[in-house]
Amino acid sequence: MSRNNERVGIGAYLALLFAVIFFSGIMVSDLAKKTVFATPQSQKIASVLDFNTLNGKFGTLLNSATLDKDNKTVTKRGNFTGAGGDGARQGFMFALTLIPTVMFALGMVAVVEYFGALEAMRQILTVISRPLLGIPGEAGLALIASLQSTDAGAAMTRALSDEKRMTEREKETFVMFQFSAGAPLSNFLSSGAALLALSSATGETIPVSIGACLAVIFVMKVFGTNVFRAYMSVVSRNA
Amino acid sequence: MANAENVAVINEDVTAGAEQVAVKERKMVTDVFVEGARKGWQIATSSTVPNVLMAFVVIYAFEVTGFLDFLGSFFGPMMRVFGLPGEAAMVLFASWLSMGGGVGVASSLFATGKLTAANVAILAPAMYLMGSQLQYMGRLLGVAGTKGKYFPVMFAICVLNAFISLWIMNLVV
Repeated sequence: MSRNNERVGIGAYLALLFAVIFFSGIMVSDLAKKTVFATPQSQKIASVLDFNTLNGKFGTLLNSATLDKDNKTVTKRGNFTGAGGDGARQGFMFALTLIPTVMFALGMVAVVEYFGALEAMRQILTVISRPLLGIPGEAGLALIASLQSTDAGAAMTRALSDEKRMTEREKETFVMFQFSAGAPLSNFLSSGAALLALSSATGETIPVSIGACLAVIFVMKVFGTNVFRAYMSVVSRNA
Repeated sequence: MANAENVAVINEDVTAGAEQVAVKERKMVTDVFVEGARKGWQIATSSTVPNVLMAFVVIYAFEVTGFLDFLGSFFGPMMRVFGLPGEAAMVLFASWLSMGGGVGVASSLFATGKLTAANVAILAPAMYLMGSQLQYMGRLLGVAGTKGKYFPVMFAICVLNAFISLWIMNLVV
């Protein structure tokens, strides 16, 4: 935990910015299309900075071909999971469609992590953790760890408290922060990303980005922590 | 004692990381990506696939017996407040037990048309905000040494967080 004061280069902040742009879907949002990227050509180029664009899509197979009453061929197409399956077998086929999304998401996470995005985030969190969460800036490393691994966060919190670098009350507050949506970066970017990449048989896609969901999760984590802080001060006043 | 050991290992990892910066520089970014993707493959095959398969079996069994319809109408009035069908309650309950299970149930209900794309979007943050609480009681509250008297309020705040997020997502989606 001695690395708190280590400098974080501009590259790390750029990596964090890239991650936010890439997972937020902002490059393909209506806002971006209306303001910065007006032409179809620029929209196409901008879309390369978007997780969903690069995640791509499965090719389709012919599911069925029937003749309607005018003797015209009506075809139904879908991905390789086929139509009409259910139970364990369909569950397995369906789960296969999620695998590439999980692999792609974690591959990109590894890349932004490599360029220091998490270090930059820790730097920012160290500054805002006291006013925002009521926990000491020293907990910055544990905080970042807790976003990726519940177990690492828990163990490091215990250590901070055992070493008296955090009061009992700060510890409980910090635990509250970790408890709602534990390890959100790992959990959401692995399973949540796959969930948001689903599309229905009719081609309907989930109308929200990974970034927007993570933002709501973070806001609510902070909110819940402060509800707990309020509860703690009421309890201690009555004690 | 085991906790302290864990922490020692974590700290070692971190310092080792700092010392290896010089080595790190030489790593190809493509290799970094592939390493991450490999981790993704491991997570997907060891967690996503079994969880989704399990959820499809459970949902299918519920569907065959008509229990799913019952749950849908039972929780319908409560979930309607958040613009969701009653079946969505199953997603939240499954998430509370385990996030992976919740994703499985949501995928299954979406695949069978019980949940729309907008429903899934509304549910997504809530599934994590109140996710895996039973596991985390041991893995987080237990390890960190949280006092037992705070458990109920912590559980309650997580559920509160989740329901407020449903409301927020209704405004966003």
